[in-house]
Amino acid sequence: MQPIKSIKDIPELDLFTGGSSVCAGCGPSMGLKLALKVLGPKTVIINSAGCMTLLPLFPNTPLKVSWIHNAIENAATTAAGARHGLDALGFKDMNVVVYAGDGATYDIGFASLSSTAIKNERVIYICYNNQSYGNTGFQCTTATPYGSETKTTPRGKENPIGNTNIHKDMLKLMGVHRVYCATASLAYPVDFLNKLNKAKERNGFSYIELLGTCATGWNFDPRYTIKISRLAVRCGMWPLYEIDDRKLSLNKEFKQLKPVDEYLQLQGRYKQLPPDGVTKLQSLVNEHWAQLNEFNAKRYV
Amino acid sequence: MKHILITGNEAAAWGARLVEPQFIPTFPITPQTECIETLARWKVEGDLPGTDFERMESEHSVMSAAIGAAAVGARVFTATSSQGLMLMHEVLYIASGMRLPIVMANISRGLSAPVTLWSDHNDFLDQRDSGWIMFHAENNQEVLDMILQGYRVAEDPKVLLPVMVNMDGYVLSFTDEPVIIPSYEDVKQFMPAYDPQHTITPDRPVTVGPPVMDEYTDYKAQAHLASRNALTVLKDIQDDFEKIFGRRYHTVDEFMLDDAELVLITQGSMSTTAKAAILEMREEGVKVGLLRLRVIRPWPGEIICKALQNAKAIAVIDRNIAPGKGGIMLPEIVETLYHSNNRPLVSGFIVGLGGKPQTEARIKEITRKLADDLASGRPRIEWNDLEVS
Repeated sequence: MQPIKSIKDIPELDLFTGGSSVCAGCGPSMGLKLALKVLGPKTVIINSAGCMTLLPLFPNTPLKVSWIHNAIENAATTAAGARHGLDALGFKDMNVVVYAGDGATYDIGFASLSSTAIKNERVIYICYNNQSYGNTGFQCTTATPYGSETKTTPRGKENPIGNTNIHKDMLKLMGVHRVYCATASLAYPVDFLNKLNKAKERNGFSYIELLGTCATGWNFDPRYTIKISRLAVRCGMWPLYEIDDRKLSLNKEFKQLKPVDEYLQLQGRYKQLPPDGVTKLQSLVNEHWAQLNEFNAKRYV
Repeated sequence: MKHILITGNEAAAWGARLVEPQFIPTFPITPQTECIETLARWKVEGDLPGTDFERMESEHSVMSAAIGAAAVGARVFTATSSQGLMLMHEVLYIASGMRLPIVMANISRGLSAPVTLWSDHNDFLDQRDSGWIMFHAENNQEVLDMILQGYRVAEDPKVLLPVMVNMDGYVLSFTDEPVIIPSYEDVKQFMPAYDPQHTITPDRPVTVGPPVMDEYTDYKAQAHLASRNALTVLKDIQDDFEKIFGRRYHTVDEFMLDDAELVLITQGSMSTTAKAAILEMREEGVKVGLLRLRVIRPWPGEIICKALQNAKAIAVIDRNIAPGKGGIMLPEIVETLYHSNNRPLVSGFIVGLGGKPQTEARIKEITRKLADDLASGRPRIEWNDLEVS
């Protein structure tokens, strides 16, 4: 497959039509629309319960590809079953693609994901990471960043920080499964789609994590979805990198990261994060960025 | 066709082998392990050429993968037990809601806590409202035969529901019994190649399991009707089965019921013990018979009423307990008889929890107590079988 060099090369093919019931500025739905451009019509999406579950609402669907929604914690193993079934029936050319949120991926579905990855099932797993249980109204997951307020980590007298946990390093965890894994951002569609193309050509499992920029939960003006997706990368909050055969490659390198404050200021979820919280968050970002740079082009896991 | 000595676990594996499923996702749990070990061995020895055998990381994922494979149109088999079945509970409803003809053997075992490895029926009776068709075998031959019949029922276009074939752990799962293994040719005659009603193919996009609004009721009503259809379908299947294999099964198993005044209602392997006890009691002139529930869902109420039309007193022997209520099958039988012209006295006996053996002496004791109840006109609910053991 030819690499996509610029947005002009992105296929015009559109398998995600209008009429979905997602929020204005919804990042995850934009991600799926983009992804389907390279995945193509011979695709079955396996969805876990979450925001995207509301894309098809009987008897309508905005999708021109097949879709299976099972439960929340089992998208990966449902996909494994679909893969085995399709192979047995002779449809080896179908792409089996999971589109699951971070709650379903980092938390409740982690066992299912881990077993599917370690067996290297021919499945592309895309986690749309909106850093929360979004569909239930923005509660904390183990993907929620330090300092983010959520409905289950509200700021208050006894805890001015909001979420005090440091989020799970999912790429590293998936990396030790020795599968292809990568991060992606809506602001860098060429990078995202090339990673998907890479995953498509693998004869095994791939894990791609897309920042699921969420205007409703993160509380920002919906017109800023792409701006925030770009700032997340520029500030080091969402570095773009991949782990292939346990080797790390940074896909967007910057001599100097922008301060995280620039990213935080645009979002209601970080409003009123006290200065020491911002400092701690900045130090976490710096530490991760330094680690990525240290291991760039080297064995990482 | 061959006649061999095998366990219930092996009988279930043979049932699966003969129908040549395309996918078998598995996770081990005592006392089901021998079933999946047998399939794993056959796979590497080349006896399951068209079958994908997969190890999953939990029973929840076993059923999830079964759903994924069945949804795209593959024939699927699996087996589980007890805690594993409970872990599947959530996805059992999804399998039946999606109308996927999966067949699963459940080797029954009492539920924790405390831990027991031995059989009672709480594990699968807890799934009775899950929309699955539920069979319960008495012996190893019936295990194998129920799996063959299970696929026919599950895949019938008038039904399209998953089927659970239950057997008692240890008593059947680890006990050798002579079993007739049908030939592949006969099985093919009984069950032509799988032609799935619903598939996912590259040229035909479909949506499976979306959210619905008011239609929810319609989906559930259709699944209920489909389950009821299974009663009619099952009758035709049993006719076909007898023609090809020479063995006859009925929806309920009736034993010496024609003139029986006292009737024992049983399930599973203890029925064989009860039948032996009945033969002895008959010699003593006791008019006792037995009705064995072998199809739990759909509930064959009318057939049960007809079979019990001459009964004067009934003992429902429950190998399960719904704490705070009593036996699970007792109220089902009472409800069924409420609509019958014949209203016999009904007593309930809760026995054999956690595999506590049910002897012929115990069955005779229950029969004597039932005769007392009939004489006094006062039914009883007895939950503690320690007092007569």
